[in-house]
Amino acid sequence: MDQPNQISESSITDGVKIISYVENNKGNQELVQSSVWFPVDVVNHQAWQEINKQIEASKEKVSTGRASCLHYYMTANQMDTGLLASYTRQPRWLVCLHLIPFCFSRLGSGTLRKYVEIFNVSEDDLSHGKLKPPVYDQRAHGENSVD
Amino acid sequence: MTKEPMGRIPLTDFSHLQSAHCESGVASNLLTHKGLAFSEAMAFGIGGGLFFGYLPFIRINGLPLVTYRTAAGHILKRIGKIPGITMFQKRFRDREQAMAELDAALEQAIPVGLQTGVYWLPYFPKALRFHFNAHNLVVYGKDGGDYLISDPVFPGPVRCPADDLVRARFASGALAPKGKMYYLTQVPKQLDRKPLIIEGIGSVCKSMLSSPFPLIGIKGIRFMAGRLEKWPERLGRERADLHLGHVVRMQEEIGTGGGGFRFMYAAFLQESAEELQDSSLLDYAAVLTSAGDSWRRFAVMAARICKNRAQPGDSYAALAERIRECGSLEEDFFQQLEQWLKQQP
Repeated sequence: MDQPNQISESSITDGVKIISYVENNKGNQELVQSSVWFPVDVVNHQAWQEINKQIEASKEKVSTGRASCLHYYMTANQMDTGLLASYTRQPRWLVCLHLIPFCFSRLGSGTLRKYVEIFNVSEDDLSHGKLKPPVYDQRAHGENSVD
Repeated sequence: MTKEPMGRIPLTDFSHLQSAHCESGVASNLLTHKGLAFSEAMAFGIGGGLFFGYLPFIRINGLPLVTYRTAAGHILKRIGKIPGITMFQKRFRDREQAMAELDAALEQAIPVGLQTGVYWLPYFPKALRFHFNAHNLVVYGKDGGDYLISDPVFPGPVRCPADDLVRARFASGALAPKGKMYYLTQVPKQLDRKPLIIEGIGSVCKSMLSSPFPLIGIKGIRFMAGRLEKWPERLGRERADLHLGHVVRMQEEIGTGGGGFRFMYAAFLQESAEELQDSSLLDYAAVLTSAGDSWRRFAVMAARICKNRAQPGDSYAALAERIRECGSLEEDFFQQLEQWLKQQP
């Protein structure tokens, strides 16, 4: 059913072939190794566009001082306050509090270390408000020299 | 990389076979390793993997949950309950203990299945790294600080540093794996598959046709069609497109084998037809394949809308119609299958 006139997006699997079931001419389902079917690319692309939009909005918030850099790290790592709270084992209201620059700048290194661990950045980055790429981008950019 | 001498863990001879869906792929690989040849589709069918559910009160990234298969872990649970097969399963609180037990099992040359969060696995393509916590894989060895992993959706074995694997095993959020590990301890040499196939089909028919909940099974498909039709006016165009894209992702993204698992189930029916010497199952498989094709036509149209390349005739109403078409095809299919079940001794 693939239509040849479709414009293919860059493959979402970085060229890794996946396997799927395709009906052969005898009507039997066969496992075939192939690239990703194009609608999958389209909707995956759409999902990332939305994520990037949120990241941009968050950067804007951080740079204008309406949120702490924790807000950027949370958004860039596709988390919300609930998920971040459960990763760092804190109550959610505390995480919400840390999103306020005033509160965040007064955090001790014990609390900061929780965020350092989860976002794979250094304590310096957090306390100076440096915006490092999210976890999934760190290796690709050779940024993983933190530890 | 640390150079300290690690306990040398013998390399297990584990044959990696790529599959379309992680959970049934792991089940099939583990069973095959134990000497009981089991295809992925067969594991999916016997595990009663096919399903439909539209659960808007569960949100993933703010979007309603749509699922084309049973809850994560269901297939493995059913396989573990097959008479003659015993499965060791454990969840952990403590990270160190979890890794120590994994190492201990590997030292005994046991390939271990793990539930992990995709987001923390460095070998995963960037575009697929979402917070999804029900990904299954098999660890079959350790080399220095790296674990050797047979991830069923990848073409070949991969490696993962221990630090990342710990994070993946203790991912938080919905369906948190809590370090879940499992391996097969006992597998019979021979297995009478007929009762298992019938049971597997029975459980799927039941959930698809006669669930009392309107959000599940054929009713759920129709319910989603009704909701989808109203998305543009209820949510606005942009949010509606996001919702739509999400449905297609759940249906087609890696791990479904295409057509929201419908093709995989058709493959299972074809294999069962051979196993049971019953050609009527082949006809049912053909009906299900056409339902899968119908889901794919829906996905193509949805992708055009998401990409703002709508052709004349593409609209949310037309999409809803497509879904209803899928619903009636599947209703037909499951009723036939139920009839077939009644004829079985």
